[in-house]
Amino acid sequence: MSATTVTAALRRSQLYRRHIDLGGHFEQVAESTLVSHYRSIEEERAQVKTLALVDLSALPRIGFKGLGAPDWAAAQGMTLPAQPNRATLQDDGTLIARLSQTELLIASNLSGASTHSAVAVSAVADTTLAERVYSLPRADSHSWLVLCGDLAAETLAKVCGVDLRPHKFANGEVAQTSIAKINGVLIRNDYGDTLAYSIFSDSSSVEFLWDSLLDAMAEFNGAPVGVQALRDC
Amino acid sequence: MSNDVRLPAPFGSLIDRDKTISFRFENKTYQGFAGDNIASALAANNQWLLSRSFKYHRPRGALTMAGQDANTMIQLPSDPNALADRVAISDGLEVMGQNYSGSLNRDSGALLGLVAKFLPVGFYYKAFFKPRGMWERWAPLIRKKAGLGVIDQQFQPEYFDKQYQFYDVAVIGAGPAGLTAALAAAKAGAEVLLVDENPSLGGSLNYSRLDAEGEKARQLRQRLVAEVLASDNITAMTNATCNGWFADNWLPIIRGKRLYKVRAKQTILCVGALEQQAVFHNNDLPGVIMSSAAQRLMHLYGVRPGKTAVIVTGNNDGYAAALDLLDAGVEVKAIVDLREQPEYDAVAKKAASKGLTIKTGHAVFAAHKDRSGLHLGSVEVRKIIRQGVCGDQSETILCDTLCMAVGYTPTYQLVCQGGGQLSYNDNTSMFTLTNCPQNCQIAGSVNSHWLIDDVIADAQRAAIIASNALGLSNETPDQQLDISLQHSPNFSWPIFAHPKGKEFVDFDEDLQIADIINATRDGYEHIQLVKRYSTCGMGPSQGRHSALATARLVAAATNRTVAQTGVTTARPPFSAEHLAHSAGRSFYPARRSSMHYRHLEAGAQMLQAGAWYRPAYYGSAECREACINSEVNNVRTNVGLVDVSTLGGLEVRGPDAAEFLNRFYTFGFLKQPVGRARYALLTNEAGVVIDDGVACRFGEQHYYVTATTGGVDRVYQNMLKWNAQWRLDVDIANVTSAYCGVNIAGPKARDVLRKVCSDIDLSSEAFPYMGVRQGTVAGIAARVIRVGFVGELGYEVHVPQHCGEALWDALIEAGAEQGIKPFGIEAQRVLRLEKGHIIIGQDTDAMSTPAEVQMSWAIARQKPFFVGSRSIQELDKLPAKRSLVGFVVDNLSAPIPLESHLVLNGDRMTGRVTSCHFSPTLNKPVGLAYVEPDKAEVGSRFTIKSSGGVMVDALVVELPFYDPETQRQEL
Amino acid sequence: MKLLTCPLNGPRNISEFTYGGEYHPTPDHQLVTPREWAEHVFFHDNAAGVVIEWWCHTASSYWFLAERNTISDQVIRTFPADEIFNQRVEFNQPASSGESN
Repeated sequence: MSATTVTAALRRSQLYRRHIDLGGHFEQVAESTLVSHYRSIEEERAQVKTLALVDLSALPRIGFKGLGAPDWAAAQGMTLPAQPNRATLQDDGTLIARLSQTELLIASNLSGASTHSAVAVSAVADTTLAERVYSLPRADSHSWLVLCGDLAAETLAKVCGVDLRPHKFANGEVAQTSIAKINGVLIRNDYGDTLAYSIFSDSSSVEFLWDSLLDAMAEFNGAPVGVQALRDC
Repeated sequence: MSNDVRLPAPFGSLIDRDKTISFRFENKTYQGFAGDNIASALAANNQWLLSRSFKYHRPRGALTMAGQDANTMIQLPSDPNALADRVAISDGLEVMGQNYSGSLNRDSGALLGLVAKFLPVGFYYKAFFKPRGMWERWAPLIRKKAGLGVIDQQFQPEYFDKQYQFYDVAVIGAGPAGLTAALAAAKAGAEVLLVDENPSLGGSLNYSRLDAEGEKARQLRQRLVAEVLASDNITAMTNATCNGWFADNWLPIIRGKRLYKVRAKQTILCVGALEQQAVFHNNDLPGVIMSSAAQRLMHLYGVRPGKTAVIVTGNNDGYAAALDLLDAGVEVKAIVDLREQPEYDAVAKKAASKGLTIKTGHAVFAAHKDRSGLHLGSVEVRKIIRQGVCGDQSETILCDTLCMAVGYTPTYQLVCQGGGQLSYNDNTSMFTLTNCPQNCQIAGSVNSHWLIDDVIADAQRAAIIASNALGLSNETPDQQLDISLQHSPNFSWPIFAHPKGKEFVDFDEDLQIADIINATRDGYEHIQLVKRYSTCGMGPSQGRHSALATARLVAAATNRTVAQTGVTTARPPFSAEHLAHSAGRSFYPARRSSMHYRHLEAGAQMLQAGAWYRPAYYGSAECREACINSEVNNVRTNVGLVDVSTLGGLEVRGPDAAEFLNRFYTFGFLKQPVGRARYALLTNEAGVVIDDGVACRFGEQHYYVTATTGGVDRVYQNMLKWNAQWRLDVDIANVTSAYCGVNIAGPKARDVLRKVCSDIDLSSEAFPYMGVRQGTVAGIAARVIRVGFVGELGYEVHVPQHCGEALWDALIEAGAEQGIKPFGIEAQRVLRLEKGHIIIGQDTDAMSTPAEVQMSWAIARQKPFFVGSRSIQELDKLPAKRSLVGFVVDNLSAPIPLESHLVLNGDRMTGRVTSCHFSPTLNKPVGLAYVEPDKAEVGSRFTIKSSGGVMVDALVVELPFYDPETQRQEL
Repeated sequence: MKLLTCPLNGPRNISEFTYGGEYHPTPDHQLVTPREWAEHVFFHDNAAGVVIEWWCHTASSYWFLAERNTISDQVIRTFPADEIFNQRVEFNQPASSGESN
């Protein structure tokens, strides 16, 4: 693992100062830099099982909406959830959530080398979008945090008024709701058999949300971990 | 600890006799056991006096032993009005009595009781109503006497928290009904929450006597509790109070320092009933307690209530208490039964067989103090000759304890909060509850069921209804018993007036029978008015022990039935809660631009505008004005850089994009060329200005529209709402956070931008004022907009959010040679004011029309429609009411007017200042103000009432103040 | 706290929603009298009984309509806006007095 420096040239999370203060070790994924780990990987693997917070904001993601969006996405080889507020994991680990009949959120896998998200992102640059398909810059408008571990639902109950307990909120379910008074999209997206919730919310509020979640996690001894521990799930 | 007071097991189910705890009360050390609360531990030490009453400072002790009354309010170091029969003792706990002057035992304030007859109900209203000014003089003295407890001003805030919880069924109250209902619902497959405010599950089964042998309650409790604890479907919470019932079964449940916000699909309220006092002379003396309180003391805490007891009863529960007292070795001197011909159940029969003195058809007419003056010493028993009236002959019985068992009131609070109706059944002398809210049942004694088998059946009935509603079962519930035909434990009139009064109806407020009667005589006959006039039921226990007696008294005094009289409304919270529970962990979202830390590094003073942090100015707070002026000057002469990331950004795309904007904003957009920006003014349907921005056309079907920082969310919502009706073929997206941006402004802006932007021709000819371009700035994909908010050559550069710091750094570096400096919101406000640009929300209010704020030019009147068009059309026909004008103040020694200072015409208020600041460029104060239309002409003068009441002369001038030919922004 | 069922997101605490006012058909802004227009803009029926209201689920910016009984505060049903607004609205030039909704 090479120690990458966080430089302005790379896509980095708005939380990168927090990560430096926490002693984060950074890694480079494509054009992004994100925290690989803060503590030893063994410690973080154990942490992930109980309660951990991961910042994936530097990973690629994008959105599409418009009447033509579902057909267009299907034509790109994406498998879409049949109904709104559901998410489907693609074969390469890409997460595709359907926020309404005509709106999609596409988030990369943990390697950052997600074919689907790469195709989707490049489609926008090439302006080859079909009629009535409109892209949404979700990588910039929304931060991406993952709260995971057995106590994740109990922690979220302190900041979110939706019943997210695992037996009531199945893997792949989506809640567009308020988390610590920040509006966002919350997706249950387990990594392996580790309970996990991906939270996509206003990027300008991410420091507030990060601090609020860590505060809510404190009574359960939750802690931030890097992306590596999540990959190992 | 006095050993003759503590009883052996199985008495004292809550206490652990192996764990002694030391605490202090009134600076004296006491010992109790783990599991004791303050009141039980003190009672075990023969300390009955806990506090003084609110009005007359009468000695008070435990009444209910259930935390339901205000008698046990004591002072903890950081917690006034804690309940001694609720708070558990802990090592080193410091407890003080409340509401006394001098000492708890000898309270000089108690002399007030002697003049009580001169302090009738309504005294303050009557005595201080006239002459004028009287109340102001007396209020401080009276207020010093009033109030409960002392606030600890050194209090350190503690960590209180909140949590949401979700259940199929919430059962409130874990007595026999609650346990049964929870079990039945859980068996049907529901996720059940069972809540009880007491330390142990079981409710009355913990202390009451259901059979002659005294075994049944304990056995039933054991079985039910074991089943509840064994059930995976039931979460049991003790020491937890459900403090309200809100719409759709939203239940605030407080346990310790946490507020649980529980959402239940079904609620079953098994909240039981509250035992009521008999009303007679000195019924508030320490030692006069509810029969259930005596039973709680013995069974829960192993404390013998006294040595010699009398029981006044109107039902068979008093006989059960007598048997318990006998078991505990208390000498029962007499059972005074209000009933002429009691109908005994098995328990009462057994008590009657013990050879006790039983006086039927008699009442306790008065209680008297012992030699200490602080405790019960004897009771005076008299024969009842008719309702509420006793004969003249009295018998005095010496005793230190009087147990009252004259009836109950259902714990109606939560039900009534949900819209339930409290009625009075004259047949059973009982309050009854009807009209429960949807998805909410009541069961057990709160539902007027008193026999244990009826209670269990009622709970099962409620659980079946709940399970059926959840789709978990499909059973037919039993028919509810006709409660008006049931046996009732309520005696119809346990109220006995005494020539000397002091028969307390409301212990919290020291209200006596005459106070209630007098309220009705003063004309306040409605129960709600009686409450407000007499303050009955307004104390900390919220009428738990006064509502029934008051309703009966008012009914009798006004010749109505109790049913007609009714009761007052019960509102949440059910019991007092700490403000910290509501405050708890609160969320105050904060938004930061991606350049936030660059501002901090540059020494910015940040301010919060809505949720956003924005740089106010750069430099130390001591030289605020100098910093702002220097930032202004640098923009005017060199080049400045301001973070505009907080501006709203909306993408409007699709075949109907132009048509949509044409309908939404006041201006015309259909013919707007690609590559150009247009001012976008937004009015609502009433024609009032509510937002503004610029609409940048980047393609035939693509607009990027800015909106104000504070307005964008509402503008976005409005856009979606209108298009939900218009159904245009357009997509609208809020991309505010996706883009960050700067405005680089000043005569040297182009020179700086040119260094980092090679793919856009920045020349004035190729990229004129109000042009928009896409390209790269410092290698970052950027949207560049030539706007002139600050009145200089300027470019707004919008880039993806994650590139904010890179853009900022590149421009600061590129502009070093030109003397680039960041400027903050304060300088921007001055700059725009000099340029005469208004800020929506600051220079406009909820009534501002475009014409008033000189924005008629921004309205395309040829369009078939825009949101405010018809209203503006009508407003144009009416004479103007006011006008926003630019003014200068030439008198440099006058205090500079501030926002909201009044514009006066003689002594009439005719307008107000909306913005005003010293202009470093014009070297005098400039501002905007609403004035009467006839003062709007350039050259008019008007008067502003400035700071300190100084009248300042203002001169109306042409806008803008600066660069009237607008040459500078078009350089 | 009340629950409100969003047609897109299901039942949620009402704090997740923004109230959008009573729904009533917009009169033709070119044909109505000033009085009628003023009533449309400023007056609300404030009826005791079942009314139709606009609500927006804030987190998803989804607008929909709700039938609510203002006496019992019971929401009878919620439904997507296109149940009422099912075709494109046109505004014609003042000369031709066409339908506007």
